[in-house]
Amino acid sequence: MQCSKCGNPKVIYKRQQSGQLLCKECFIDSIEKKVIKTVKKEKLLDKGDKVLVALSGGKDSVTTLEILNTFRERNIIDICALTVDEGIANYRQDGVDIAIRHAERLGIQHKVVSLKEDYGISLDEIMQRDNHKGSCTYCGVFRRTIINKAAREMHATKIATGHNLDDEVQAIMMNYLEGNINNLGKLGAKTESDAEEFTVKIKPLREIPEREIGLYVVAKDLEVHFDSCPYAMQSFRGEISEVINQLTQKHPTIKYSTLRGYDKIKPVMKKEFKTDYAHGRCERCGEPSSNRLCKACSFLEELGV
Amino acid sequence: MSFTLKYKSINEKREIPNENYTIKDLLDELELSAQTVVSKQNGELVIEDTVINDNDEIHLVQIIYGG
Repeated sequence: MQCSKCGNPKVIYKRQQSGQLLCKECFIDSIEKKVIKTVKKEKLLDKGDKVLVALSGGKDSVTTLEILNTFRERNIIDICALTVDEGIANYRQDGVDIAIRHAERLGIQHKVVSLKEDYGISLDEIMQRDNHKGSCTYCGVFRRTIINKAAREMHATKIATGHNLDDEVQAIMMNYLEGNINNLGKLGAKTESDAEEFTVKIKPLREIPEREIGLYVVAKDLEVHFDSCPYAMQSFRGEISEVINQLTQKHPTIKYSTLRGYDKIKPVMKKEFKTDYAHGRCERCGEPSSNRLCKACSFLEELGV
Repeated sequence: MSFTLKYKSINEKREIPNENYTIKDLLDELELSAQTVVSKQNGELVIEDTVINDNDEIHLVQIIYGG
């Protein structure tokens, strides 16, 4: 048994979808080249961009930072990072500490924003309420709002998130199964809004399977927060993920074919289901909103905060 | 014939039950999916088809937790 690329007998990975065998060096190289290819193919970066990396300290965001930093080293872009502390006891602090160390190691501007400090309530406190809507609902909305605000404050021109192939395929299937065509049309490698307050979002790891990102950080000895969010099992996403992974065992290319199929129908969906962007402003926080209150503020009102 | 297993808080000696006992066999025994862990044999990353030898140290690193 030897590496399909260089012949090295120390193989660390077998790609199920292609049967390709890779040694450590060729595996690392293949991941970095594939991300760079996605960046170029999808035109995710422009020279002079300041990219805000949403850095949780987990494998996906650390990999995003590590690979985008190669563009920074070549003076193509500048990078800053933001870590959101949702307030999840015995879970989040380790990730925050790791994120701080990566930002220091690379010498990049870094900010930590806590839900408790920004909104007066932590996710743990929300989950103690009887009328809560499920952890992921709040986490997603508050995080997005915090990241958008920080991008403006830090003068970022792009927001990079660590969404991987598994995340993207789960999102496609979740939105389709829920009949949420509006959200379905918003997925993709690069999402832009007509509202100028919303910074362009990019997903450089969109074509890399989650497992390969896990192997990449171990192979590169990158410090990451490997742990489970205590609220993860409550999510619909978790159920969808299980089904897709089961299918992948017999059909190893199914995640890629789902993604490719989605990319083909996306332009048609965007055209057919074009929605007007938010012209109004949230009465409470001033963020763009098509309703009296933005989503984050309507949650806060419901929670009595 | 035995090897040392390191996985999360586990650090124990285990018998090698048969010839050509692989990391994949160990993962099946532990009911772990090869999709969620990566394996190291004596400190070096290896694929799951790797045969476990006498006195090996097998370290399993969970890389996917969900959420």
